[in-house]
Amino acid sequence: MRSTFLRILRHRFVAVPLLIVVAVLGWNAYVVTHNDGIVRGVVLGPDGRPLAGATVTMMEQNFTTNSDRGKTMTRADGAFEFTDNRSHNIQLRAEKPGVGRSGLVVVRLYFRAQDVTLREPLRVTKPAG
Amino acid sequence: MIKKRTRRTWTHASLHLAMLAVSFCMLLPFYWVLKTSLTGENIFVYPPSIVPVHPHLFYYIDVWYYIPFPRYLLNSVVVSVLSIAANVVFNALAAYALTRHFRGRGAVITVLLSCMMIPFQTTIVPAYLITAKLGLLDSYLGLALPTFSTIVCIFVYKASFEAVPRSLIDAARIDGLSELQIIRRIMLPLSTSAVATNIVLSFIWSWNNFLWPLIVVRDPLMQTLPLGLSRFLSYHENTTGALYAFCIMVLAPGILLFLMAQKEFIRGLTSGATKG
Amino acid sequence: MATAVDFPAASEATSGAVGKRARHARPGVRRRREMLLVWVFLLPSLAVFFLYRILPLVWNAVLSAQQFSLFAPSQWIGLDHYREMVDDPVFWTSLRNTLLFMASAPVGILLALAISLIVNAGIRGRDVYRTIVFLSYPLMTVAVGIIWRWMYDEKVGLFNYVLRSLHLIDTPLPFLQSFELALPSVLIANVWQILGFYMIILLAGLQGIPQNLYEAASIDGASPRQQFFRITLPLLRPSLFLAFVIGIMTSFTSFDLVYVMTQGGPSHQSELLITYIYKAAFELSRIDYAAALTIVQFALLVTLTWAGNRLAGGDAGAVESGA
Repeated sequence: MRSTFLRILRHRFVAVPLLIVVAVLGWNAYVVTHNDGIVRGVVLGPDGRPLAGATVTMMEQNFTTNSDRGKTMTRADGAFEFTDNRSHNIQLRAEKPGVGRSGLVVVRLYFRAQDVTLREPLRVTKPAG
Repeated sequence: MIKKRTRRTWTHASLHLAMLAVSFCMLLPFYWVLKTSLTGENIFVYPPSIVPVHPHLFYYIDVWYYIPFPRYLLNSVVVSVLSIAANVVFNALAAYALTRHFRGRGAVITVLLSCMMIPFQTTIVPAYLITAKLGLLDSYLGLALPTFSTIVCIFVYKASFEAVPRSLIDAARIDGLSELQIIRRIMLPLSTSAVATNIVLSFIWSWNNFLWPLIVVRDPLMQTLPLGLSRFLSYHENTTGALYAFCIMVLAPGILLFLMAQKEFIRGLTSGATKG
Repeated sequence: MATAVDFPAASEATSGAVGKRARHARPGVRRRREMLLVWVFLLPSLAVFFLYRILPLVWNAVLSAQQFSLFAPSQWIGLDHYREMVDDPVFWTSLRNTLLFMASAPVGILLALAISLIVNAGIRGRDVYRTIVFLSYPLMTVAVGIIWRWMYDEKVGLFNYVLRSLHLIDTPLPFLQSFELALPSVLIANVWQILGFYMIILLAGLQGIPQNLYEAASIDGASPRQQFFRITLPLLRPSLFLAFVIGIMTSFTSFDLVYVMTQGGPSHQSELLITYIYKAAFELSRIDYAAALTIVQFALLVTLTWAGNRLAGGDAGAVESGA
């Protein structure tokens, strides 16, 4: 009895779909536990030191359009955090009046609202000229 | 003696070389599209590089979210499941009927064989009118209905059923089994290869079907994968690698099924081609 | 379930109404009930074929002689649509293209024949080769069209890149937009996809040829070349004919590839009959004209298949009854 069950299980028409189902369920479990929409990062000033009080703007990217999704300020240690990201493709820009602005940083995620901590800091530089 | 063996080795080597060249030509398109879907750099950059540079999976994520890919997938799956289920039932019933001798059997077989000569493409205009009259436009049933039965598979079943020993059937009748039960309990279990062939063939045909959904479906929500792919192409053309990720995602089930069920596939194509 | 061992009797013994259901019925009634059941079983399939094969064929013929309108009753106009067709340059272009498409089938079949012979020759790894060649056939043609369209791209396509790297051309070739190259480009993509199908058919035919024929010929001193032309080819005739019929059918049904790759352009240079029928019916809303086109296409298909059958020497379904 048990051996026939195992034999059926190993047949390719059963094993492959089963593997796929297990993989899908496993992935969904991971997604559900990691999709709070938290985006964390650090902003550095032109001198390479953490920049406090900079405004970081988050924009959502589509195939054709860009839309603002929120703004936040960096804390004393230059760190910032968004908690309501619902997209999988966002762009961030940091700027502080009088100091400069950073380039547009594109962040692509594996699923919507994936929690992410940026590895590279946003670097604010003085505008040219 | 040795000369003959070296000659054979040389011949084999040159045959292998030829087949390697052929394989390269057959596999090149797959590689190229896979590469483009992973990097997208050769959309905007010329000359393209042969090996993927900075590959990433984000185009696939784009396809999943920006296009209603899950919806298209669902539609394709529902239509295919409908088609497969109906195919197995209708074809098996018809094939069983054809194994019996009755008046008009020859005529029915002739009709079926001549229907094989009428390709689907010859019927699109009236089929559209019929579907519209039945009120089945933009519906799963309307999409699947023309594919509910295939003549090729009927003959595959028929050959398989005719191979079942007569004594088994007679014994079953003595036991009081009805005809339906005979099909379900005796014929089908002994014809698993025919059933597998039917499933594989009808899945591939309904999954890949493009012209019929194009005609019958206007509602964007009811589109199947081929339609969605074509629409994406016409909107975005070559501006994004997501198109090619879409292609790969669409081809993957077909390739997977083919690799798993090659034997059934080939059997279905050859036996159908030789008119059962 | 009773086993066959216990009841070796022929059907006469059981027709004596031994079964539970038929216990009290006379043979005549049972026969009629059986007949009824047979037709009931046939009904679903026959209904589908009637509704979506036979009825459309007839309706096409009817429509082609009418002026169809959704808002008013249709009027009979006889052969007007056919007269219009004769003067329609797009019709003649698409007919020419369809015939060209058909003419490319032998190229694919020859290639497939070469590949089948190699695969059948018993080299190692032939199952892998067979899988690789056949892989392209079960794929979604729309996706295949997009892949090839990408490779043919004028600015960044693979083919232009290779040709320019090899310095065979100086400026990129607009494969799918050029008058001369559009149809051949589509044809190449089609051959790529259908090669596997041809190969499978020819392999089945090759494997049906008994080995002892070759052995006997070797003993008689026949060279491999003679063996090929005297044994292989004649016995392969049904398979070759079948492949050719498939090739003909493909030229009438390759809607997906043309639609995705060129949309029939430029200027109808890659328009096939089937794409023109689709456009006439669903883009130009001329259902009656499209029906007339369909009738012509069907007549052409039947004629060609019948002629091919005659040329192949009669019964093409003789693969199983071969040598």
